[in-house]
Amino acid sequence: MTDPIIRFDNVTYHYPGTEEPALRDIDLEIMPGEYVAILGLNGAGKTTLGLCVNGVVPTMLGGTLEGSVTVGGLDVGEYPVREMAKIVGMVFDNPEFQMSQLSAAEEVALGLENAGIAYEDMVRIIPETLELVGLKGFEERSPLGLSGGQQQRLAIAAVLAMKPQILIMDEPTSNLDPIGKQEVFSIAGKLNKEAGMTVVVIEHEVEVMAKFADRVIVIDHGRIVMNGAPEEILSRVKELGALGLRAPEAAVLADDLRARGLWTGPTPTTTAPAVEQVRTMIGAARG
Amino acid sequence: MTMTTALPIAMIPGDSVIHRINPIAKLVWVVGYIVLAFSTQNIFILASMAVFAFLLGIVAGVLKPLLKAMIILVPIGSSLLALQIIAPAVERPWTLAGSIGPLSLYGDGLYYGFVLLGRVVASLIIALVMVMTTHPSDLFTSLAKLKMPYTLNFMLAMTLQLIPVFQREFGVIMSAQKSRGMKGTGFSAVLPSFVPVFVGAIERVQQLSISLESRGFGSDGHKTSYRQVRVRVRDWIIGGLGAVLIVGLSVYSIIRGTWSLSGEIVFSGAFVTTLFAIAALTFFGFIAFTIIYGFTRK
Ligand SMILES: Nc1ncnc2c1ncn2[C@@H]1O[C@H](COP(=O)(O)OP(=O)(O)OP(=O)(O)O)[C@@H](O)[C@H]1O
Ligand SMILES: [Mg+2]
Repeated sequence: MTDPIIRFDNVTYHYPGTEEPALRDIDLEIMPGEYVAILGLNGAGKTTLGLCVNGVVPTMLGGTLEGSVTVGGLDVGEYPVREMAKIVGMVFDNPEFQMSQLSAAEEVALGLENAGIAYEDMVRIIPETLELVGLKGFEERSPLGLSGGQQQRLAIAAVLAMKPQILIMDEPTSNLDPIGKQEVFSIAGKLNKEAGMTVVVIEHEVEVMAKFADRVIVIDHGRIVMNGAPEEILSRVKELGALGLRAPEAAVLADDLRARGLWTGPTPTTTAPAVEQVRTMIGAARG
Repeated sequence: MTMTTALPIAMIPGDSVIHRINPIAKLVWVVGYIVLAFSTQNIFILASMAVFAFLLGIVAGVLKPLLKAMIILVPIGSSLLALQIIAPAVERPWTLAGSIGPLSLYGDGLYYGFVLLGRVVASLIIALVMVMTTHPSDLFTSLAKLKMPYTLNFMLAMTLQLIPVFQREFGVIMSAQKSRGMKGTGFSAVLPSFVPVFVGAIERVQQLSISLESRGFGSDGHKTSYRQVRVRVRDWIIGGLGAVLIVGLSVYSIIRGTWSLSGEIVFSGAFVTTLFAIAALTFFGFIAFTIIYGFTRK
């Protein structure tokens, strides 16, 4: 039995000067190599949960944290964020405020320099990573002069280049076009499969989650209310609806058809099996 | 790309001779300039220093941003001269050069005013040229190589990281003011923006420090540098020359009791009176212009 790489033990967290906790009684274990997606309404506590993993909450933002968060065997509250950076890579939800360097290449270099990566390796890693996120040839561009989507890609590259054991991404594709979204999630998927990187993404697009994640966690008012495989969680159309969340189109359609007695079998969460089953049904109806 | 030009105090990328000088050699010059400027009262030395620094700025190709930043000298310089003429900051006896109404004007004051102005102008120009031609992380790397204490270096690097944040904040707020019908150019447009800029900037500063720390900025352990800073023979020569020249002149000035020429140079009464009038008018004109321009919203 391996130990979980991320572990929340009965965590309740209050931001400084707030009455309502942003996180309540969180118990959560994430195993090394898992690809976890976090879903929830605005203000549910997703970002706060992510910030607990590298210790920005509570070491930089203050407030009171009850319970404990353990990451890679370290008690997060005990170490500064800059030391946690050796294990956890974090892509924040506001890319424009993460840029501080004069060129894209230097933005990517920052984390490598701090990790003590040799110059000879940097000159290889930087263009490689920029190419990976679709910013080939952008090395000398000023980060401030990039589009929102390009900045988001650069923020991702800056973290990926460090090859963290754990990658947390907070709405990393909010500014990206549909193809860009797919790219980012499949890059994360690839690193997850091939390098065993543990990935946690905070995301609103349920379709994408159903396709890439091993596990979906739903947060509501600071509590974990659902936690399981995407097929299991995302097919619960009514429960998600009650929380104000939307299930994947395929699940909604199947659920509708089932109510009219037209659907049998499991509720699909991705489009492909749903399309197939509908085709079969149409075929059967004709034949 | 107009966003980052609102406050011209960051690096202007370029490949001039000045850009390529080692940051430490440049730092020697800046520190030396300041030391010399404040140890001499010889206006010819001060004027040559200012002119030389300005020429460096031209060679570096940063003339335009340099001039823009120097607008700040207009109110400072004119008020300084006007005040010194009517109330010299030197020991009496003062020599009366003329009067305007109830105001007595003194020639010694004008000399000392020139000295003060020369000090500010020379130091400011050289510092601006340095900042505009030096990459912050090159300076950081070089200082680390000199075994500068890490915390100090970290603070300096952090400060330099924040300059673009302030600039960006200025840019955003200026365009917001512009869209509300305020003229978004010049010094006067910047003035009403100070408060929102600082409020916004504090928040940005926190977000940026979170982002930097999350990428290991300031962590323990061995650090490397992506930007390779070379120290060439040329840099040794430039740094050494600067040090020798400046130390020499400073020591000589101090030996000669600041080398003030106020005894030798006597300004004519007409000159002092005219200059006072110009300085006072410039100062009040600038203030009036700023207020009127700043508060006129279409
Ligand atoms: N710095 C802060 N100080 C005080 N309260 C905060 C702070 N940041 C967030 N909160 C509060 O904590 C709660 C959870 O916020 P959080 O940012 O974690 O939500 P989220 O699920 O990420 O939402 P979104 O989808 O909008 O990003 C919200 O009620 C929010 O108002
Ligand atoms: Mg959030």
